[in-house]
Amino acid sequence: MGAVSSTAASPSPDGSLPRGRVIPLRRPGEAATAWLGMVVFLGSWAMMFAGLFFSYGLVRLRSPAWPPLDQPSLPLLLPGVNVAVVLLSEGALVLALRWLRGGKPRPAAAALAGATLLGATFLALQSVVWVSLWDAGLRPDGGPYPSVFYALTVFHALHVAVGLVALAWLAGRALASGLGPPGRQALRLWGMYWHFVGAVWVAMYLAVYVV
Amino acid sequence: MSRARLLVLPLALGARAAFAAPLPEKGFGLPRDASADGHLVDWLIHYTLIASAVIFVVVLAAMVWSFARHGRSHQAEYTHGSRASAGFLLGAIGFIAVTVDGNLFYRTLVDMNEVFWNFTALEKDPAAVRIEVNAHQWAWLARYPGPDGKFGTEDDVVTLNDIRVPVGVPVVIQLASTDVIHSLYLPNFRVKRDAVPGMVNWITFRARETGEYEIGCAQHCGPNHYKMRGVLTVLSPEGYREWIETMARDARRAHDPDDREAHWAWDWRSY
Amino acid sequence: MATPAQVLEQVETQPIHPPPTSFWRKHVFSTDHKVIARQFLWAGLLFLLVGGTLAMLIRWQWGFPYRKVPILGDVFLGANGGLIGPATYQKIFTMHGLIMIFFAVTPVLIGTFGNFLIPLMIGARDMAFPKLNMYSFWTFALSQALVVASFLVDLGTAGAGWTSYPPLATNVGTPGAGQTLVVAALFVTGVSSTMGAINYVTTVIRLRAPGMTWMRLPLTIWGLWLTAILNALFVPVLGSAALLLLLDRSFGTQFFVAGAAAVRGGGDPILYQHLFWIFGHPEVYIMILPAWGILGDVLAFFARKPHHWYRGSVWAMVAVTVLSAMVYGHHMFMTGMSPLLGEAFMLFTLTISVPSMVVVLNWLFTIWKGSIRFTTPMLFALGTMFVFGVGGLTGLFLGDISMDLYLHDTMFVVGHFHFTMAAASFMGAMTGLYFWFPKMYGRALDERLGKVHFWFSIVGFTVVFGGQLIVGWAGQQRRLFDPFQYTFIQGLRGLNQWTSLFAFALFAGQFAFVWNFFKTVFGKAEPAGQNPWEVTTLEWTDATSPPAFHNFDVIPVVLRGPHELGNPEGKRLLGRDWIGQAEKVPALRETPAAAAKA
Repeated sequence: MGAVSSTAASPSPDGSLPRGRVIPLRRPGEAATAWLGMVVFLGSWAMMFAGLFFSYGLVRLRSPAWPPLDQPSLPLLLPGVNVAVVLLSEGALVLALRWLRGGKPRPAAAALAGATLLGATFLALQSVVWVSLWDAGLRPDGGPYPSVFYALTVFHALHVAVGLVALAWLAGRALASGLGPPGRQALRLWGMYWHFVGAVWVAMYLAVYVV
Repeated sequence: MSRARLLVLPLALGARAAFAAPLPEKGFGLPRDASADGHLVDWLIHYTLIASAVIFVVVLAAMVWSFARHGRSHQAEYTHGSRASAGFLLGAIGFIAVTVDGNLFYRTLVDMNEVFWNFTALEKDPAAVRIEVNAHQWAWLARYPGPDGKFGTEDDVVTLNDIRVPVGVPVVIQLASTDVIHSLYLPNFRVKRDAVPGMVNWITFRARETGEYEIGCAQHCGPNHYKMRGVLTVLSPEGYREWIETMARDARRAHDPDDREAHWAWDWRSY
Repeated sequence: MATPAQVLEQVETQPIHPPPTSFWRKHVFSTDHKVIARQFLWAGLLFLLVGGTLAMLIRWQWGFPYRKVPILGDVFLGANGGLIGPATYQKIFTMHGLIMIFFAVTPVLIGTFGNFLIPLMIGARDMAFPKLNMYSFWTFALSQALVVASFLVDLGTAGAGWTSYPPLATNVGTPGAGQTLVVAALFVTGVSSTMGAINYVTTVIRLRAPGMTWMRLPLTIWGLWLTAILNALFVPVLGSAALLLLLDRSFGTQFFVAGAAAVRGGGDPILYQHLFWIFGHPEVYIMILPAWGILGDVLAFFARKPHHWYRGSVWAMVAVTVLSAMVYGHHMFMTGMSPLLGEAFMLFTLTISVPSMVVVLNWLFTIWKGSIRFTTPMLFALGTMFVFGVGGLTGLFLGDISMDLYLHDTMFVVGHFHFTMAAASFMGAMTGLYFWFPKMYGRALDERLGKVHFWFSIVGFTVVFGGQLIVGWAGQQRRLFDPFQYTFIQGLRGLNQWTSLFAFALFAGQFAFVWNFFKTVFGKAEPAGQNPWEVTTLEWTDATSPPAFHNFDVIPVVLRGPHELGNPEGKRLLGRDWIGQAEKVPALRETPAAAAKA
């Protein structure tokens, strides 16, 4: 939460506090507090994904064949491309933050827009994968194998979508009027989220598609 | 006259099954122990009870003493705790940890590995009685392999809520469920095991005296969970042999190859 | 006295915002942690009433089976002639457990005390994320609404036990929107808990007043903080279990479906149990750690001496927190797990009893040689010690696989967790309520009514839950609509009936509290002073009763630990037996031990 710029201040016990003093917009230490809150938040989400990965592991261990003999196997190419997309998007975000700090707002805004577009690309490619598998007969009610696949990938994609909306909004602000300190703070925090979601994707690619 | 006599034996057997009456328990203690190995569980339970009671009484007595002697009129002793008092505290806990926790752990390891979970030894025992139990909402189906020793054949004896075993012989049950999780519970034998659909679980016991005992369900399995009651009858070895042979003969005669639902057996799993 | 420069610096780092003025912002969508705390309190107490009523229905069925339920029978069970039937019975015990755990104890113990006390006791003006705090309450309210909705749908509410084990909890085992709504409510309340946990964890780490080191925190804060860590880490695992169960119910997936309804091999019902208990065991520690913390402080306060070996208790609580997730398999001993795994879980379970014993014995050594004041909060604290002692000891039986062979899923388990969760957490919450009520509302609860409430509660809990232990010892299983179908249980009719009668008395006795609460909050009452209990922590020494919107005019600077009571030096210098945490006493020589703690 941002501090309010206020000209009122609590009077000191002996009433000698000068009135009309302006209080700065960000309190020192507030960035660190927000960062810590984000870390705890991501820790919680990591545990939720851990529960899902644990389920995947147990279900897979119990299955005699994976994929089951009559079910389509998962593609490697497009999801692999998505790994690259994700890493590029994260890179663009890192660049955007660095350029903002270095006083280059226009390139930063462009990088941010790039990160957003790459995020949208991720979702688009993932949709192509889903549609192709659906057409090949892989349905969520077709047993534990598609259950795990759809649950993990859809849940992850929902997280990407949420981050994408935030990034798009920030990118729009950056392109239009530039990002002030609260916007930069928000970008830093959403950047952590975006890295988290990207890391989960890499783990998911390796665990679900490759192995 | 002879026809009536022919009817008497199955009627008597059937009547015994229908009106099988386990004896009620007296008081609030553990139910009568009809098993050869249940005393191991009972020993641990009583040991833990005594240990807990001692700990509880000592701490409670200290508390009550403190209420009486260290009330408002007593001057509070200003201390954050000393090395001595913390040491005494840890020492007491260490003593409890060794004599209670440690003892429990050791005895249980022995009991589980030698008796209650020792299925590999039972695999090799030719005299062990093998039964497949299929739980479903809300009854227990039990299947005996019959004289040919194989499950899923014509002479399999299938009973409903009615398990009979010979006294003194180890019984091994493979337990499964068709619908939801149930739990086979034999209070007079101090054992239970969950029946989980998609899994086959193992449970073993050995009866020490003949009689009728109850089978209960120990896992919430729907509205009629409370009615999922069966009777475990412990017979003499001869009584058991007579029973199983009669039932196997009836089973062969009553076998219907088209009755798919009745053929729920599985090949006896190895441990 | 702070200098103008100090005040200025404080105003810059922790500015004082003007309080809200509109009705909505003041009372409904408030971001003030104190208001949110009271919102959680009302929400929790309301559902405590619902959960308690459901318990009375269970006891009626066991005490007086197949008889028409008085009063409530006509209102709620009219369709069945005022009788409880088996299908209704399973809904009753399911929702009793769920409501008590998630919608009664959690909001009161963690939502109320966490929100109210954390900023005040650490010397902050509010939580780190006040808006998130407000959202966490309204998310919780949404989950309560989902629970209410579940009662109103066609096939009624959930009936698969509070644990919702599949396959019974799948739409094959328990069809209908009610079960789905309840699983969704679980997910939503999990989201609320996680939001709250983020706030609690961050606030304690980042917003402690100057001088408030970790080893000077009140034990209440340690309890609440460790609880929040467990919440943050393990509630999401429940979320994953609930999510997968919802998918199985609504989208035909096969995570947990097995048996006849399985497709292509089906799922694994035991997977659910793993996920559930990886959450479920930490959850019981979530429910007791705040009570342990409150007890640590309250016992010291009313024995008028410092807590014995404060560090030992802190480390013990940390140890319990760390171990809590490693013991979860003891709920699954009967599922057919590998013996090695079972033995490992047993080992950890027996190990976790050690730090618990440290906490309990430290309480005993705290009151020993004290100068005990038997106020209502102290009575409840001592009562909590007693019931937790019984509950903890009965855990020994259940953590051992051999004994669990016999005792699993009997009423002995029910007695164990009622002593620890219902009695100890509840009485711990009552300790906190009676103790901090003057600070929250600016008035004091009636001591006499409080003592009546205490005696009804302690006797009631002991007899009712003791009755559960006894019938469980005799072998009676849990969750039986009619236990007396079993011959071996028929001899327990009398005991079950007496237990039920005491349960009704226990329930009735709670109205002493309800009456006390309502008449003090809404009626005329004497204002409580700023520090009526004469204790040392910041909320008492540096904030008014109730506190101002901004909590502290000047953020206090902490100089010592939270239990400086009975110090002879302090008596000499100040003429009283307590020294505030932030109190400047220049002539006081802190003892080397106390100084070393800083």
